[in-house]
Amino acid sequence: MTTVLDPTPTRAPAARRAPLGRLTTLEVRKSLSTRSGVALTAVASVLPAGMTALTLALDDPPPNAPVLLALLGTLVGMLLLAVGILSTAGEWTHGTVQTTFLTEPRRGRVLLAKYAGAALLGAAIAVVVVATTLAVATVGTGPDFSWAGTGVAVAATVLGGAALTVVGAGIGAAVANSPAALTGTYITLLVGMTVLNGLKPVWGRRVDPLTALYDLIDGTAAGRPVAVLAGWLLVTTVAGALVTSRRQLT
Amino acid sequence: MITVSGLTKRYGDRTVVGDVSFAVEPGTVTGFLGPNGAGKTTTMRMITGLVTQSAGTATVDGRPYAALPNPAAVLGCLLDAGAVHPGRTGRTHLRILAATVGVPAARVDEVLDMVGLGPAGRRRIRGYSLGMRQRLGIAGALLADPPVLMFDEPANGLDPEGIRWMRGLLRGHAARGGTVLLSSHLLAEVEHTVDRLVVIGGGRVVADGPIGTLLAGDGVRVRALDPAGLADALTAAGFPVTADGPVLSVAGATAEQVGTVAARGGHVLTDLRPADRGLEDLFFQLTA
Repeated sequence: MTTVLDPTPTRAPAARRAPLGRLTTLEVRKSLSTRSGVALTAVASVLPAGMTALTLALDDPPPNAPVLLALLGTLVGMLLLAVGILSTAGEWTHGTVQTTFLTEPRRGRVLLAKYAGAALLGAAIAVVVVATTLAVATVGTGPDFSWAGTGVAVAATVLGGAALTVVGAGIGAAVANSPAALTGTYITLLVGMTVLNGLKPVWGRRVDPLTALYDLIDGTAAGRPVAVLAGWLLVTTVAGALVTSRRQLT
Repeated sequence: MITVSGLTKRYGDRTVVGDVSFAVEPGTVTGFLGPNGAGKTTTMRMITGLVTQSAGTATVDGRPYAALPNPAAVLGCLLDAGAVHPGRTGRTHLRILAATVGVPAARVDEVLDMVGLGPAGRRRIRGYSLGMRQRLGIAGALLADPPVLMFDEPANGLDPEGIRWMRGLLRGHAARGGTVLLSSHLLAEVEHTVDRLVVIGGGRVVADGPIGTLLAGDGVRVRALDPAGLADALTAAGFPVTADGPVLSVAGATAEQVGTVAARGGHVLTDLRPADRGLEDLFFQLTA
């Protein structure tokens, strides 16, 4: 191997810290720089088109756009949780968090960028989901299909998708292990919440984030679902921040 | 430069690094030696803030690592070659790093060529050997051409040519006025590369100084055609002599003193040199 060493330092990298906007962009780029990230994002973006067509072909299809978006938004919301989890827990699982903290040792800034990146990615995927869902619905529905409340439902889908992605990022940061975070999250949501909704539906509506997202999008309620999602956001992001700030990279 | 003062790390009642102090000066390569579990890696991780110290301070260029505005532009680190995402290509990994540090993307191809990974840069890291991952880690450390380099066991997985290349890289960096802290368990490699040594054992610094001074032994070693006769003459002159086959070790004596005794007795000398120790001897003596 031939090596040519620079005789003198030739580069003068920025003498100040990377701006938060650049860190956020890089976090999105990281999520999309691996096969698993691209595959998950692609599935979350493309799956709704097929699911919408399937849903509209049922004997009892959704009567209006908000209900249709609520069904698809909730389904994609589960995938967005995984996108968020992998954006933070994946760094710990693969050890890349060390490189991340060596280039930006202020862990609070890193986590803020990760949360912002997760929100952007989640919102972007939700926009694609909304666009494909409504496009398929435009073609596949008849005159009985109602479009009332579509604007609010679209906004709720995008904001709810962003929120669930950030919740996933918070869970990933708190657990710091991808398999454990994914398994724990899906057991909690698919088993725990199902049991709770069956036994105590009132309690379930107060804590289940997917039910909250559904109710928010289809317009059943506004205050309670927002409070439930805000609670999940608060608890998971704070837990993620606490663990990230204290964890030693031995 | 790197300055470590009273650095201590405790886990409960167990002290893994205790009151470690040393300085790594510009223009030098400093070797950081110690047996497994001595506290080298923990010390390096405390310097970079990856592990929080229980007491003491560590500064790079006069500031704690986390207080540097753009730390990777000041201190280039290779602490764990495995800290990379296997699903990314080497080039993508470095491009993300470059964007974080504020280095033009074109620099990525430069450092990939510099470490001998040019064509391999477009392959996914999961297909890299350990040596290739080490080279990728070194490329990442060199991205911003930082004045200070800190490498933890960089020779792991490198072939002999790679080790020679790395030696040239580190010596060249120091010759340009850069600062290098190098941890390695390859003692022969360290002996040929470093100017100074910091030896750590049981979490504490047990030696710190120029390698020439630390390896300098006490007394001289001498060979003669009649070793027994020379040994008698030296003993009669008041010098303690120990024989190791044909080689006589004379503690506390200079070459001039031994030469004078030999000349007076008419002894023919075939070798006379300071009793330098090898780094391996020093290492085991200090860390036993």
